[in-house]
Amino acid sequence: MNTDIHKLLRLKRYEIPTPDYFERFLDDFNERQRSELLRQPTWNLLWERLVGVIPEFRVPSLAYAGVAAAAVVLSTFILVTQKDTVPSGPSLALNDPRPTVNVLPPGSGDLRLPVSSRSEFPPHYVLEARPVSYESPYSF
Amino acid sequence: MAETVEEQEIKDVDLVARTQAGDPRAFDDLVRKYSPRLYGLVYHMTSNHEDTNDLLQDVFAKAYRSIKGFRGKSSFYTWLHTIATNMTINFLKKRSRTYNMSLDDVDNGIHHDPDFIEMTSGPDARREVNLKELQQRLNEAMMKLSNEHRAVVTMFDIQGMPHAEIGKILGTSEGTVRSRLFYAHRQLQNYLQEFLVN
Repeated sequence: MNTDIHKLLRLKRYEIPTPDYFERFLDDFNERQRSELLRQPTWNLLWERLVGVIPEFRVPSLAYAGVAAAAVVLSTFILVTQKDTVPSGPSLALNDPRPTVNVLPPGSGDLRLPVSSRSEFPPHYVLEARPVSYESPYSF
Repeated sequence: MAETVEEQEIKDVDLVARTQAGDPRAFDDLVRKYSPRLYGLVYHMTSNHEDTNDLLQDVFAKAYRSIKGFRGKSSFYTWLHTIATNMTINFLKKRSRTYNMSLDDVDNGIHHDPDFIEMTSGPDARREVNLKELQQRLNEAMMKLSNEHRAVVTMFDIQGMPHAEIGKILGTSEGTVRSRLFYAHRQLQNYLQEFLVN
């Protein structure tokens, strides 16, 4: 270490403000703090508090916690919605003591789609009131 | 009787805890305790009383706003000095190159300082020292250093902090602090040659 320059620089510590400066400084500081509090909007104060607290957290652990919480919420939501929409499984049907009831009115016949009975043409399905036919037209 | 460093730190921990619990008078005690020291840190880096006053207000305001986040991983002293140093360096980066120095008066105690006596009246005294001129030249020389070098010189040479503490405040190694000091001293020696005894 350069001792001479060190000794010379140490003399700078005699540069000091007037004796009453530091008492006035505290008063000025308190006054300024109060006026700033009155001037600031509430959202700004909340934001500053938040910014002051955030450095306490370690970012990686916070990130893991956030992801874990989101995963739990998401899976709970999926489970709840599936329970509401998916029909009961076969085990529930087996346990149902009620007798099976035929919901079709008597005489309504088979639920299978009607098939044309003409043997000279391949079978075809009647989809609407008018049958879809592969027969050649009678005229033209 | 003067308090030891440990006693002071215990007192700080108590004052910080009380401030965090919402007692503003505890923070007033911290301001009273640290403002002279922080004033010196900022003043010797800016060479301007008014800038120092404004910056010091900002430093304590920031410390008050952030104190809830202070968990005592470092001492309050180190934490507060880190805020002050960073804010001062940021301020100096933005400050215009053309600024006026506004220097405080030199305390009369300097006339009883052994180093000053040796420099002005010893057998090796090179010249009659005009106090105002010496102050002016010292500040000019300091302002020729980079902000980072000036910070190290201020903390080590003027405020008497150990290298390790300075390293913690600046977030650098002790080796970096030593090398910055070496470089800064060499530069200052050129600027202040005429005031050096040997």
